Amino acid sequence: MKQRTLWPVILITGLAVTACGSAAPTQSSSGDSSSKIVVWDWKSGEPGVASYIEKAKADFATKHPDVTVEFVAQPFDQYYTLLGAATQSGKGPDVMLFNGGGQIRDRVNDLLPLDPYVAEDKQRLAGWDAFSKDGKIYAAPVTLQGHPIYYNKSIYQKAGLDPANPPKTWDEFAAGCATIKKATGAKCFALGNKEGFGIQFFMSGLGPGILTPEEYDAWIAGKRDWTSPHVKQIFSLWKKVNDDGLNNDGANSTALFNDAFAIFNTGKAATIIGLMSDVGHWKDFGEFLGADNVGVMAAPVVTSGATPVLPYDGGIGYGVAKSAKDPQLAADLVRSLTSTGALSAFYAGAGAITSDTTIEVSQGAPAVAAIVSRIKGGKPALHVALSSKTLDLMGRLSQKLLSGSASVDDVVEQLAASDKVS
Amino acid sequence: MPIGGSSPAVGSAEAERATGTEIERPVRGLPGKTSRGVRAERLAPFVLVAPAVLIIVALRLWPLLLGVNFSFTGDGERNGTAVGFDNYAELLGDPLFRTALGNVGWLVVLLPVAVAIPGLLATFIYLRVPGHRVFRGVYFFPAVLSPVIVGAIFNLMLGYDGPLNTALAAIGLGPVDWLGDADIAMFTVTGVHIWATFGMALVVFLAGFSTLDTALLDAARMDGASLPRIIWHVIIPSLSRTLQFVFVTTMIGMLTSMFGLLYVMTSGGPEGSTYLPEFYVWIQQGQMNRPALASAASTVLFLIMLVVGILQVSVLRRAGSED
Repeated sequence: MKQRTLWPVILITGLAVTACGSAAPTQSSSGDSSSKIVVWDWKSGEPGVASYIEKAKADFATKHPDVTVEFVAQPFDQYYTLLGAATQSGKGPDVMLFNGGGQIRDRVNDLLPLDPYVAEDKQRLAGWDAFSKDGKIYAAPVTLQGHPIYYNKSIYQKAGLDPANPPKTWDEFAAGCATIKKATGAKCFALGNKEGFGIQFFMSGLGPGILTPEEYDAWIAGKRDWTSPHVKQIFSLWKKVNDDGLNNDGANSTALFNDAFAIFNTGKAATIIGLMSDVGHWKDFGEFLGADNVGVMAAPVVTSGATPVLPYDGGIGYGVAKSAKDPQLAADLVRSLTSTGALSAFYAGAGAITSDTTIEVSQGAPAVAAIVSRIKGGKPALHVALSSKTLDLMGRLSQKLLSGSASVDDVVEQLAASDKVS
Repeated sequence: MPIGGSSPAVGSAEAERATGTEIERPVRGLPGKTSRGVRAERLAPFVLVAPAVLIIVALRLWPLLLGVNFSFTGDGERNGTAVGFDNYAELLGDPLFRTALGNVGWLVVLLPVAVAIPGLLATFIYLRVPGHRVFRGVYFFPAVLSPVIVGAIFNLMLGYDGPLNTALAAIGLGPVDWLGDADIAMFTVTGVHIWATFGMALVVFLAGFSTLDTALLDAARMDGASLPRIIWHVIIPSLSRTLQFVFVTTMIGMLTSMFGLLYVMTSGGPEGSTYLPEFYVWIQQGQMNRPALASAASTVLFLIMLVVGILQVSVLRRAGSED
């Protein structure tokens, strides 16, 4: 008896020990042969981007026919956790997708500076800043992400306002909101601040109408004066908009993704500060409201001297790992992933505003033309300049402002302290 | 297994005897005759527990030690350098982590409620209220739902313009922002958690009732005791061991399995009021890219769990010795 149980036990032990060593890493360790490139992203599994991936692969195959490219789609929730673990254990991919801003800047130690490889693309593509740190480029932008202010033209029409001429100043805007409320019952803003993202959209969407151009540029350059009256005004306006009943009810328990978008889509609110790519953008709204009913307005001017610009940054982009076996090959793949042909397919398939400024969009919805025409004069979004820690804090403090449990001065003081540390 | 002497086994044993395999020897004869047999006998227990020990060491203790070790290193630019207790100091200074610990305190305060609800309902089922069979099934049903589904359902129910507020408005009560008000969100989520998990405790209580001495109940009834008095003086003392068990397991459940609900229902908000230590760990590791700080937070969580675990062991041991 004992003897006969002994052997299975040893066998199982052996299995248990060896199995736990090899089962965990699912992706291949990127190649004993250098003729394979592994790409990590969270996009390639989506149906809307299939043609984009196809185009990019085809473009790459014409340059390097003998190299295979493997796309590994990871769940976005855990993408950076998985990426960090894989990189630390030396099993990370060669090429990987990043969100612009803090997510990539926190990880540049593991990335290859791409400046020599992408010099030719610098003019054609926009949005490089979000993927750069200390003057070096770490990823090539694929999409642009920004915060246009969308409005529902049919609600404007119903309220007797001119949908072709959206309000230019805050006073006009607020008066228009009152008219809309009276005529249609719709709220002014669809706001979701459950995740604390609402304030980020508000700051970046309306900030260009509050800060003067000098203040704006200084903010982006890292010289943020949190004590300036205009910065405080961003937060006092945030509070005032809610106190005056311009937002939908229960903003703190409404998820921005995607409950707030649904409020706008169903015509319960006339305006929303949305996105340019992925979700909550012109294409999503157009599907519900009709493409011709989705308008884009510049930020209403709150303080004289402010010149509203479109706030946008590089949205997502591909970078190359420092540990890539053949950096030139990997960089070529990044260039294929940002080629005009591939990005045209991305625009057509997923409705993303891509980084390529040469793509023809005049056939598309009016909202696209309105957004793309503003890209040239656009500036980086205000909230993207902040660290993820400060953004997290700002999310919580913004909820306190809405519920009335913190004052604007208090909030600005805490944010200044957090911004100074990070 | 006991029928070890079936022909193939005997056949193989005999074949091995023919080739002179020594290890087989203790099986054949009575054990302990030779020194080799004694040694094999002595080693056998160690070999038998080896898989369990190896699994625990490799998958539990080693990661635990690594985690504690990481908690004394830095993040970002200080990655890999020893920083002493800096992470713990930062934790103590972080109002968010203090909120998370405070919420653990709230869970302890709410624990009696979480135990009383299944206890009372089990009592009613035991006392055969009309429809008790239906209730038994209905009460257990939420326990089989995943927290994500429960969270999604209650997100709809408790929305600002959701059915509950509509119902409240119908009887003239103002809308309550169940998940958007920092003062009540934690209680809302805890309430939903209790709703989703009390079925398990109910089953444990029902099992406890099956050991109850019905003669005592009958005697109490004969003496004309009211229902509250029966519960207080007969049922609760008889069920003291079941109660202790449910207390400890419910506490552990609250501390370790509310992540899914928090993630779906509030994401730690509003104003960070619904953070629990494990949610904090996840945010720091996954969102803030601060694995070392997350290690420190999870070490603190481990210590809390250790206290609860020791409590559990001592309670169960005392309960066992009463037998």
